[in-house]
Amino acid sequence: MSDTYQPDGMAGSPPRLEVRDVTVRFAGLTALDAIGFTVEPGSVHAVIGPNGAGKSTCFNVLSGVYRATAGSVRFGEAELTALAPHRIAALGVARTFQNIALSPRLSVRDNLMLGRHRLTRAGFVAAGLRLPSARREARLHGERVNEIAAFVGLAGRLATPVGLLPYGVQKRVELARALCMEPRLLLLDEPVAGMNGGERREMAELVVAVRESLGISILLVEHDMGMVMRLADTVTVLDFGRRIAGGPPAEVQDDPEVIRAYLGAASGSGEAAP
Amino acid sequence: MSDKPGGSVRILLRSAVLVAAAVAVPFYLEGFWLQAGLFAMSAAVGAIGINLLTGATGQLSMGHAFFLAAGAYSYVYFASDPGPGLAGLGLPTPVAAVLAVLTAGVAGGVFSPIAGRLKGAYLGIATLALIFLGQHLLFNAGPVTGGYNGRPVPPMELFGFAFADSPALVVAQVPFGALERLWFLGLAALVCAALFARGVLTGRPGRAMNTIRDHEIAAGVMGVPVARYRAGVFVLSSMYGGLAGVLLALVFQRTVPEYFGILLSLDYLAMIVIGGLGSVAGAVIGAVFISLLPQLLTRYSDALPLVAEPGSGGVSPAEAARILYGAAVVVIVLFLPGGLLGLAGRLRPSPNRRIASASTAEKASLRPSPETRN
Ligand SMILES: Nc1ncnc2c1ncn2[C@@H]1O[C@H](COP(=O)(O)OP(=O)(O)OP(=O)(O)O)[C@@H](O)[C@H]1O
Ligand SMILES: [Mg+2]
Repeated sequence: MSDTYQPDGMAGSPPRLEVRDVTVRFAGLTALDAIGFTVEPGSVHAVIGPNGAGKSTCFNVLSGVYRATAGSVRFGEAELTALAPHRIAALGVARTFQNIALSPRLSVRDNLMLGRHRLTRAGFVAAGLRLPSARREARLHGERVNEIAAFVGLAGRLATPVGLLPYGVQKRVELARALCMEPRLLLLDEPVAGMNGGERREMAELVVAVRESLGISILLVEHDMGMVMRLADTVTVLDFGRRIAGGPPAEVQDDPEVIRAYLGAASGSGEAAP
Repeated sequence: MSDKPGGSVRILLRSAVLVAAAVAVPFYLEGFWLQAGLFAMSAAVGAIGINLLTGATGQLSMGHAFFLAAGAYSYVYFASDPGPGLAGLGLPTPVAAVLAVLTAGVAGGVFSPIAGRLKGAYLGIATLALIFLGQHLLFNAGPVTGGYNGRPVPPMELFGFAFADSPALVVAQVPFGALERLWFLGLAALVCAALFARGVLTGRPGRAMNTIRDHEIAAGVMGVPVARYRAGVFVLSSMYGGLAGVLLALVFQRTVPEYFGILLSLDYLAMIVIGGLGSVAGAVIGAVFISLLPQLLTRYSDALPLVAEPGSGGVSPAEAARILYGAAVVVIVLFLPGGLLGLAGRLRPSPNRRIASASTAEKASLRPSPETRN
């Protein structure tokens, strides 16, 4: 599969993601209540809302981690609600986690190479016997990992165990690992949470660069409203599992329902951004 | 993967020295220590297997002894000629050995739908059932297993060369009996088993296994079919158990049913915890430690204060060894999470420990690779 391994700058446009009437219930709690939105090919779509609104639950449905109680998620031709996580990954859907989900003892390189899993083939026998096919594959994909690491600013840290890196850098490793999947749809769950101002700016620039250079669709959950307003083409607002508003960022920002949801939440928690 | 030229030369040199030393051993050591060393080699193969499953993938198994028994007894069954009251296929011994390893793999495969679905400690509990099943079969399937008395093990014969005491053989004025000859067979098996496992662990499957252990959900989302990997690793580790069982049978020259009980499974868990979870070297170090400790205590029991001669009342060497390594497990779990291997690593400062300075991200752009289009 890596015979024609040459960046050629000709990525076709990714399919549309259509979320329709998705409901998720946990024993007695409705985390998502018939929500729907569409991510247009190549756009940046932000999902915002106060804590506990159901944003991560939505991501978990899209990536196959949670089963939707009802509703459908279509990614091009594929119905994602029926698929296991690894099958969704195979369609080119990559995600990062709100709480870092890396292997702390593995090096940055190995964590990134895991992102190549779906694009590589070596099984137990090929890897155990170090067959030429496995070595060639590892070398070719290792080169792409180097490129992606350089792009994300991790080039000097490939050999470092992830657990020894500062939090902000680990967040970038998460993004790089998702990019290593060569995704067509990238789900970012709070990529700048817990970062300082400089790190936030770098990460925002990185997301812009990803979009410009790869042309993939990005679905972004973020509390940093400045970042959402700057990056997103479209915004969907959730509150208590319901979709309360949606549209271009400037419109959503002035929506009275949204202001109410945020002010209501802000009085209860300091996390929600103004 | 990424071979640093200097590093690989050093590793090659070090391996060459180790192999040379191991080859020289039978010319200098007496039978007692040769046998102890052979048990350690067999244990090391088995420990590598369970370290793939438990250490690298995070799947606890209490059933490892079952797969050792599967390997040992199927070798005997395939290799023995049928005798009075005993069944056997009388196959050539190398064929029997390969079939025995495969049989252990098939036994693992039969259990693998369960092994794929259960995780961590739950699998540990489910695999206890294998031990009880195994013990029941070993004692009651008389025609195949020899029942309570076990069965004699036919010596391995490779291209007309018998790994037995006869015909007599003298190499460089050292009489080469079964143990001396088996030493090389065990060494070859261990080296192959270790290299294969290292390839698995440093390659694509190893990364998937480690991620399943560290973050199962992330593994699935990154494209790893988690249940299939768990099942696959379970089969692989049973085959390692099977190979360890074949070696054990060849060294012991008789199968003993009660040996393959829960204590043996616990020994294997102790080996990987003491040696170091998740790595080949850790498994080997732990296996050597746990196999040689009772032998050392037996040999020097008269010189040790609390340890009595076997059978004379008081703490027997085997019991003393169990107490000692029980304590070692506790100490290591509490203070040395990396095991003895981690301790060795900590004593020797490694050059790539130093954290590279922050590379200021020059604003690169990333070009899509063809995979983006699939
Ligand atoms: N596995 C689960 N079992 C039970 N309840 C859950 C589960 N996952 C999420 N929830 C609940 O669903 C609701 C939505 O949670 P979710 O994590 O999606 O919120 P969020 O919008 O991502 O919030 P935050 O901004 O804090 O990350 C919460 O009330 C949460 O407690
Ligand atoms: Mg969340």
